[in-house]
Amino acid sequence: MNEQTSPRFGKGVKLRREPDGSAMLLVPEGALVLNPVATAALELVDGAHSLGEIVETVVDRFDVTPERAREDVAALFERLMERGFVRPSDVACPERSRGAQVDKEC
Amino acid sequence: MLGRPLSILCELTYRCNLQCPYCYNPIALREYRDELSTQQWNAVLRDAAALRIVQAHFSGGEPTLRPDLPDLVETAAGAGLYTNLITQGTFLDDAALDELIGRGLDHIQISIQAPSAEAADRIAGTVVHEKKLQALRRVRDRDVALTLNCVLHRRNHDAIGEVIALAERFGITRLELANVQFYGWAYRNRTALMPTLEQVRRGEAIVEAARERLRGSMEIVYVLPDYFGEFPKPCMNGWGSQFLTVTPTGDVLPCPAAAAIRDLHFENVRSRPLADIWQNSDAFERFRGTAWMPDPCRSCERRELDWGGCRCQAFLLTGDAAVTDPACSLSPHHSIVTALREEPSLLEAIPRRA
Repeated sequence: MNEQTSPRFGKGVKLRREPDGSAMLLVPEGALVLNPVATAALELVDGAHSLGEIVETVVDRFDVTPERAREDVAALFERLMERGFVRPSDVACPERSRGAQVDKEC
Repeated sequence: MLGRPLSILCELTYRCNLQCPYCYNPIALREYRDELSTQQWNAVLRDAAALRIVQAHFSGGEPTLRPDLPDLVETAAGAGLYTNLITQGTFLDDAALDELIGRGLDHIQISIQAPSAEAADRIAGTVVHEKKLQALRRVRDRDVALTLNCVLHRRNHDAIGEVIALAERFGITRLELANVQFYGWAYRNRTALMPTLEQVRRGEAIVEAARERLRGSMEIVYVLPDYFGEFPKPCMNGWGSQFLTVTPTGDVLPCPAAAAIRDLHFENVRSRPLADIWQNSDAFERFRGTAWMPDPCRSCERRELDWGGCRCQAFLLTGDAAVTDPACSLSPHHSIVTALREEPSLLEAIPRRA
């Protein structure tokens, strides 16, 4: 993913807001508790907002330098991508693209 | 302070068209025929959401045998719960799947019994493997998360590599390999299902290598065999801490296997609100926290890591739910577990039946 990529959530992944304003990322058989920066970033995961726009939002809303925001957002999305919780919006079916060699019969 | 529960397991029915001998459902399946109505389940799900529970798991038995499953999924999803269906998959045709996903289902777990039809159908007691593979393809190609599950035991442990290969061939991104847990029917069949130490060690090496090789393309969840470790599993992350189970007839249990503990009385959603049962009932209070612990747990530095292990297992193996889980190497009853583990029997397992 680069700054132009617009991430989307993987299958079965969604953001849950709590009444107190905190949030969790719900995933198959798990839930990740999110800090405020991660929450702000993941609220913009919709296949339309680019990573660059997400970084801008973080810079606007938190007391953080653009460099630091870029690093933090990149690290967050790298971790989530490795586990299939987010994907670039141009990948339609992660099951097909992520599986090593999908048998034609399957 | 009592925290919020995170997860509710809705055991919609114990009916099932398969006869897997490793099933954890209770032996006395006939006692569970007076199932909750759709309305009653809807109320349970709304009460669960009000308790700020996050996930609802629909299981059984075979939950798709309940014709109201799509309605219950819709109720749960509408109340903000993450919805997970745990199924053997034999009834998941295109129409059923589209209906469930359309109503808000987030995640489906489908089990296979073994990688080959012959072995799998022998374990299931009926010809279903090919149907399950069809269901896997249908789910994989739809907009819903999928986990492939396989319960490991003596009869299929040697095929662990082939299970992983099947998952790869099918483009599965999440695979759960769970060593059998000895409750219900599985407890009855424990000597026939107990893997050998050699199988367990070999299986661990295969899983480790596969995880390394498939990093980033397949997540492999490996559930350790309870009788082979040094310390017990942190069952339910502590009794009455994060999880609750509702049985087909509405009993509320701190652990899916807790009905085995005959000297505990479990409250029912037909007569007491879910929140009250969670917060105040005797059964949930009984083993909450660490105050109930005997030695060696009481003074153990791991007491808030593994919470004394599993109360149901302690009861099944010793007749006393309040002792240290015999799976712990520090338990005075640990020899019960080592004896079972060292003498797997050649007897055939008894198929589950009502």
